[in-house]
Amino acid sequence: MSPEIKAESGSVNVQPLPDTVRSRLVQEGVRPENVCLWAESDLDLSGVPAWVWVVVTRDRVLAIPANGEQATDNSFEIQKVSRFKIRSTIGSAFLQALVEGLPVDVARFSNARRERFSRLLEQLERLRQGESVSVDRVYENSELLCEKCGLPLPAPKAPCPRCIKQGAVFVRTLKMLRRYLVWVVILFALMLLGIALDMMPPFLTKILVDDVLKVGAQPVADVQGALADRKQELLLVVLCLVGATLARNVLNMIIGRMSSTVGTSITFDIRCKLFDRVQQFSIDYYDRHPVGNLLQRVHGDAEAFHSFVNQVAGGYLLNVLRVIAIGIVLFSMNWRLASFILLPIPLVILGTAIYWKRIYPRYYKLSDSSSKVYSTLNAIFSGIRLVKAFSQEKKERDRFVKNIDYYRGTHMWVQKSVSTFSPIMAFIFSLGGLIVWYAGGQLVLENRGVTLGTLMAFLAYLSMFYGPLQSLTDMSNWLSGFLAASQRVFDILDTPPAMEDQPDAKPLDRVTGSIELDRVTFGYDPYNPVIKDVSMRIDPGQMIGIVGKSGSGKSTLINLICRFYDIQKGSVRIDGRDVRELRRQDLRRHIGLVLQEPFLFRASIAENIAYGRPDATPQEILDAAKAAYAHDFIMRQPLGYDTQLGERGAGLSGGERQRVSIARALLCNPAILILDEATSSVDTESEQEIQRALAVLCRGRTTIAIAHRLSTLKGADRIYVIDDGRVAEFGSHGELMDQKGIYYKLVKIQTELARLEDKV
Amino acid sequence: MSASDGKPEAAATPSLSAAAILRQVGVTYLTPDSTEIYKGTFSLMHVAIRGPESNLFRGVFAVRAFPVSQPNRFISLRYVDVLDNKEHEIGVIEDLSVFSTEAQKVVRDALRKQYYEAEITRILAIRWQFNLLFFEVETTLGRQEFMMRWSYDRAQSFGDDGKVLLDVFENRYVIPDVSKLPQADSETFQRYIYW
Repeated sequence: MSPEIKAESGSVNVQPLPDTVRSRLVQEGVRPENVCLWAESDLDLSGVPAWVWVVVTRDRVLAIPANGEQATDNSFEIQKVSRFKIRSTIGSAFLQALVEGLPVDVARFSNARRERFSRLLEQLERLRQGESVSVDRVYENSELLCEKCGLPLPAPKAPCPRCIKQGAVFVRTLKMLRRYLVWVVILFALMLLGIALDMMPPFLTKILVDDVLKVGAQPVADVQGALADRKQELLLVVLCLVGATLARNVLNMIIGRMSSTVGTSITFDIRCKLFDRVQQFSIDYYDRHPVGNLLQRVHGDAEAFHSFVNQVAGGYLLNVLRVIAIGIVLFSMNWRLASFILLPIPLVILGTAIYWKRIYPRYYKLSDSSSKVYSTLNAIFSGIRLVKAFSQEKKERDRFVKNIDYYRGTHMWVQKSVSTFSPIMAFIFSLGGLIVWYAGGQLVLENRGVTLGTLMAFLAYLSMFYGPLQSLTDMSNWLSGFLAASQRVFDILDTPPAMEDQPDAKPLDRVTGSIELDRVTFGYDPYNPVIKDVSMRIDPGQMIGIVGKSGSGKSTLINLICRFYDIQKGSVRIDGRDVRELRRQDLRRHIGLVLQEPFLFRASIAENIAYGRPDATPQEILDAAKAAYAHDFIMRQPLGYDTQLGERGAGLSGGERQRVSIARALLCNPAILILDEATSSVDTESEQEIQRALAVLCRGRTTIAIAHRLSTLKGADRIYVIDDGRVAEFGSHGELMDQKGIYYKLVKIQTELARLEDKV
Repeated sequence: MSASDGKPEAAATPSLSAAAILRQVGVTYLTPDSTEIYKGTFSLMHVAIRGPESNLFRGVFAVRAFPVSQPNRFISLRYVDVLDNKEHEIGVIEDLSVFSTEAQKVVRDALRKQYYEAEITRILAIRWQFNLLFFEVETTLGRQEFMMRWSYDRAQSFGDDGKVLLDVFENRYVIPDVSKLPQADSETFQRYIYW
């Protein structure tokens, strides 16, 4: 059957075949109109950067260099290919064709082309099986890159940080602060008032010097009266100075308290919103984003909004306004003198630019070297028994010395740089003052429109001028950092939950426990399926065992039944209903999960048992623990069920933790129970107790057990053997032993091992 | 002799015995006596094992056991079994130089296929934007530009003094020794990759 070539609509950008390649095809006896698939690789087979086109017709695959040279030796007739595959190597990958049992390289490509070649592979396999193919699918735009500018996206389909308008981010930030807008406006007004108050002391100083403390300006006859008047004026001006200083400090206090309240409230709100959103994401999202990354987003990036409030209240914005206000005052006082102030400004800007570019990044290095020292010490002290047991004290000392030497070098560099830089900057600042002293002093001496008071006010204003100017040189860094952080926050808030319940999702009140997997195909990377065309049917109350080697896909099957992921093909049905049509919360309410590594929270034992049913009564908790063979060891704890557990259940042994998790599952009374290697990480004695607990737990429920120890599955109604994502065998223990296949071999190996262990 | 009592010390367990035990259960070492390496059908590496367990493996590939510290020694020869679709090791070449020139060439070609890394020789510019680092570099494969997310896991240690940079597509750029870059380049690099 000849495959149908189907054109698809959508977001695609098909690269046409170059003329050189078309000409070569003709020379190779291939009509270009017969070409149905193609893609360009960016490496030749030996790893040299070069454009090589993989061209596919209905019956041939060819690799042709873009310069039109002869096709490489590795061109094949498709009917001779038993399978196409991608073999990943370090830094690149090969498209391979399996010919006569040999993996033959068709083309090599860098990781930048991996997505496109994965799609080509999918189409090649369809072609080989006689299904319809489309080159549009090969050239579909990447979900990982921005369609407009090609910038990598923070997450698939997330907004592009380059293309999103920065102004829009600001507007959105302000909208987000809407609830607190009144407070932000008040803060801004108070800040303006503060700047006005800052302007007062130098102005009052001018009055003090020129009008109050002036010498020899009054006739002698009036000296007594004038002295009394001027004393009064002195008192008045000083009181004004006290008032201005006091008012400024009171204002600082109000601004500080208010910005702290508003800032922390905003970050509280944003963290809640982020947490709510992140909780709605599928497990797939957590697979793609490391926990540290999520911590940073929920906790660290939210802090950016606090810094925004701080900046409004007293940061860069204040400094901009202060520089403008002081500049206006200085120029209005005396423009000639003010123009001298501008002389050192290029040096100030240059100096601070050097600081932010050269010196400040070294603080990162300092912090990194410091954390390396801590982590080395932590590792050594935590493993001190091992260090001593292997007599590695000297080696560890050398490792520690190397770390502190690195810290010393970095610290020394930073301190030396700062010690050099700071006096230079201090000199530059003083230069402005010295210029004003010299130029202004001349004007005062020559009585050319500048009084001593004006000069002193000038110098006071000057001291308030360069500081803010210096901090402004870093404003663009802060701004881009703030925009990046707020954009990351919006990324999360804008990311739709990957698996939203359908609008017409149906409730699931009662479940009998029948499970059906119908030709299910799934891959975490959609181009590399790990579950391939799997079908199985489990009747209510049956116990099913799933066995297979590590990485065969056993746990993935469980993930699909729980709908932690959505499948790509086929369907998963519970009680005859597709899990995608059900409300996820309802579905999971009917499934109890006992994992290999039981996860307990930092809470009391009782709270951990009642985790799935917070409304459980104390009697129910006790009954569940008793049934799970957990009651006795809990009662041996001084605080019994109120014993507080540490992180991940610290304080209990592995077996004890597992029994608490079984009690937790038991309390929920689920219709379907899933045991994922529930006993594989505990000792034999604990295992026996856990097996007894599980026997209680499984009674009357549909149970799916993944087990490493096959002896625990002997009583299962049916056992499925999974190999390379497919059901390789299934049947009862006896039937599988009779088949003498994979299961038989696994049982034999384990029996042999057990016999050897007994001998030892 | 013990310094304290003049009695002879108990003989230490010969290290050979431990090594011999490990050899029994450890990897199979391939030597020219036992192994023939040549280019066969479809220009693929073929490995023929001589002796009582003689076998022919076709479509073999090579992987370095110590890519940083000993790139030319301890090379594992492996193949994917078409029946179970799993990777298996034929054995390890401890020292490639003892093989014939032709065999060495076949293995080196196979290694070139296994590793694709551009070695950075100059840092021309680094720009930070959108939490990405935009690199302009000279490499052994020519001048290149790439983007890398600015995070710890994207610049990994390569031996004691080097770094491997992973760009946004997971392409690899190696700097074997950062201190051996021109000083200005090294400073520019460490301004961003300071860990």
